[in-house]
Amino acid sequence: MKIFLRKVRGLIPCTLFLVPCTWALAQEHSYAPSDIENGRGLYQANCLGCHGDNGDAVEGANLSTGRFRRASADEDLIRLIREGIPNTLMVRKTNLSYGDTRAIVAFLRSLPAGGGMVADNREVRIGDAARGESLFFSEQTRCSACHGVNGGGNLLSPDLGNIGATRTPFTLEQSMLDPMAEVRAGQRFYQVTAANGTTDRGLLMNQDTHSVQLLNENERLASYNKSELSSHGFISSPMPSYLDVLSPSEVADLVAYMISLKGEQ
Amino acid sequence: MNFTRKLFAWLLVSFTFAGLVQAQVTPDRLLNAADEPGNWLLYGGDYDSQRHSDLTQVTPANVENLELQWVWQVRGRDGAAEKFEATPLVVDGVMYTVAPPNTAVAIDPVTGRLFWQYSYTPLPEARVCCGRVNRGLAMHGDSLFMGTIDGKLVKIDARNGEPQWIIDVAPPELGYALTLAPLIIDDKVIVGPAGGEYGIRGFIAAFDVESGDKLWQFNTIPAPGEPGSETWSDAAQIAWETGGGSIWQTGSYDPDLNLTYWGIGNPGPDWNGDSRPGDNLYTESVVALNPDTGELAWHYQFTPHDEMDYDSTQAAVLVDINWRGENRKVMLWANRNGVFYVLDRETGEFLLGEPFVSVNWLSGFDDNGRPIRALYPTEEGTFIMPNNQGATNWYPPSYSPVTGLFYVPTWLDTYSVYTKRPVEYTPGQQYVGAFPTMAVPALGVNPVNQRLPEEGLGAIQAINPQTGEIVWRHIMSNVTDSGVLSTATNLVFAGGREGHFYALDAQTGDVLWRQTLGGQIAAGPMSYEIDGKQYIAIAAGAGLFVFALPD
Repeated sequence: MKIFLRKVRGLIPCTLFLVPCTWALAQEHSYAPSDIENGRGLYQANCLGCHGDNGDAVEGANLSTGRFRRASADEDLIRLIREGIPNTLMVRKTNLSYGDTRAIVAFLRSLPAGGGMVADNREVRIGDAARGESLFFSEQTRCSACHGVNGGGNLLSPDLGNIGATRTPFTLEQSMLDPMAEVRAGQRFYQVTAANGTTDRGLLMNQDTHSVQLLNENERLASYNKSELSSHGFISSPMPSYLDVLSPSEVADLVAYMISLKGEQ
Repeated sequence: MNFTRKLFAWLLVSFTFAGLVQAQVTPDRLLNAADEPGNWLLYGGDYDSQRHSDLTQVTPANVENLELQWVWQVRGRDGAAEKFEATPLVVDGVMYTVAPPNTAVAIDPVTGRLFWQYSYTPLPEARVCCGRVNRGLAMHGDSLFMGTIDGKLVKIDARNGEPQWIIDVAPPELGYALTLAPLIIDDKVIVGPAGGEYGIRGFIAAFDVESGDKLWQFNTIPAPGEPGSETWSDAAQIAWETGGGSIWQTGSYDPDLNLTYWGIGNPGPDWNGDSRPGDNLYTESVVALNPDTGELAWHYQFTPHDEMDYDSTQAAVLVDINWRGENRKVMLWANRNGVFYVLDRETGEFLLGEPFVSVNWLSGFDDNGRPIRALYPTEEGTFIMPNNQGATNWYPPSYSPVTGLFYVPTWLDTYSVYTKRPVEYTPGQQYVGAFPTMAVPALGVNPVNQRLPEEGLGAIQAINPQTGEIVWRHIMSNVTDSGVLSTATNLVFAGGREGHFYALDAQTGDVLWRQTLGGQIAAGPMSYEIDGKQYIAIAAGAGLFVFALPD
């Protein structure tokens, strides 16, 4: 039942990850801890309903990355939150004062790079990023056979070019050692079998009561009516476990490499 | 043509069409709405909120031939992104409804062409927790009544859409909003405010339909010294001031008992009840009021001391049935807390309480019908079923006197983890606590469903009110915010977030007809008849869709 339990909220000490805290500190504002704490509560009350626990519930608006398509300066962010985005569900937040909105921005800015919205203080060994990069592209791991880094890889496997900005070190390690422990929506695989026995499988793009939509293994979009299938359902992800394949230090090197991946600058 | 002949011709035309366009909705017509199945005079179809149509043209045998007649698309700067939750009225050949947030329209129900549109612009102070929504209109005489999300009640001339008066019901800057369809009883228009997430003090109030003067107000949170105040036992005696108790679903009315029944929302703050020890009446209750005075006849509390946001803002469905050998006037109520209830609506006596989804917050009922509480939110987080959005919600259910079954839009077997966090009241800001986890996103956020089955399915469920037993369920792979309509020919119309609109067999739940509408259904279906032709209407996405059999 552990997946159901709310993770402990709180800021992660940057030093834990052995990654620089420069991102948060480089902002034009330094915020008081009370602002950040206030902003956390305001986020929960005003934003979490749509943006979710992890800040990534809205397609194309992952708040945990620290990058915002429509705003870069904090004042832009404050204006965006208060005025909303026309013709979207991001409506004007007229109930929030300037100070409230600033506190929400303080909270968003306080999140550690790669920390996500939910603090995760489980300790993970971090190795050497350069060694990790070599491993990633090696025949030994064949990571790059599926995963791209800002391009490359296949369409069924997540591109990892920004993975360091959106995942905690613990979840990065877990996804290598126990990939089925947490498979997020959008990365789930599905298999359909037609009445004549032919099968198709791939990434589940969408589903409803009567049909499923896949990006199949040939990287083609395919839609199936459930009434024409003899069976269908979720299947395991093709991501293998590296638990018995890599040494702990190799895993630590890969974690370090992935932490370093923060999108094209 | 001389003047006399012209005048005569004009008078003839006037008289001929007078009955069609000169709607006069008298209190008598509302009392006898069941005699006019071709019209839909009240939000719930009738005062009993059964949402059952006696029209018989569309049957299980021909329903597969239903054809789209017209679509009316919501226009406006940000209208398309809003939830379209209204159930239309149809009165004497004209349809009236509300596009979000507060645009009232009159539409030709045969062609879908607009007669008029009245857009009320809410004040920027308006704040609503969960969407700039409106669920519909009420009609009295030649006037329509619309609540607004900035806490006002607007009287509109049904003939041309001109506002006749606008009165302040409650202050929007403190989080009060009107999202419900008003209820007309005699010459009174009755409303109550939403705002349970803003620390409001809720009420139900009646206004004179002519003058707009307030005639009475029932406070859903009693002040110290008033009956029920003993259930707010904080030492400082201040919790009641921000105690919540919102109203966002239209009440029902039994003219014989002269009682009107209203469901009341959550206590404030939502998810941490430490500041408000006690049962917190009349939150999470149904109250029976005398509509002449606002006086409380009885109440029943579904979820004492709620900390799960299980607003009891469902429609009270009034049914006269043979209850275990005795004819009784009862009330059917599928609550957001996951339990289906049967109450005696004369006395409030608890007759039955049976879960209609997986529920773990209670272990049963004591002899008085009070739930035996099993779980509370904790600082570590408590896994509670159903989830924060509930097993059902404001989405209006239906009762068919033909099948004797109660049809409930359901979120099946959902859960939230509720975590208790400190919370302080600041006027006009949300007063809630820590938002519980939910696997299912809020309505309208993301139309893609990549969830696992255990993360939340939807269903239309048929419940036998005698036992609480689920007779059938039509399961959908996404949850539903749709209302339900049943018909005299044993059809049940409903939909869900996937945008499929179904006609189901009322006896078996079998799908007899399905139409995809390409947008989430979060409104109540209704039926009307014009020139001998039966129509079925449902809002979905940003459109209002109307179906009928081919000519």
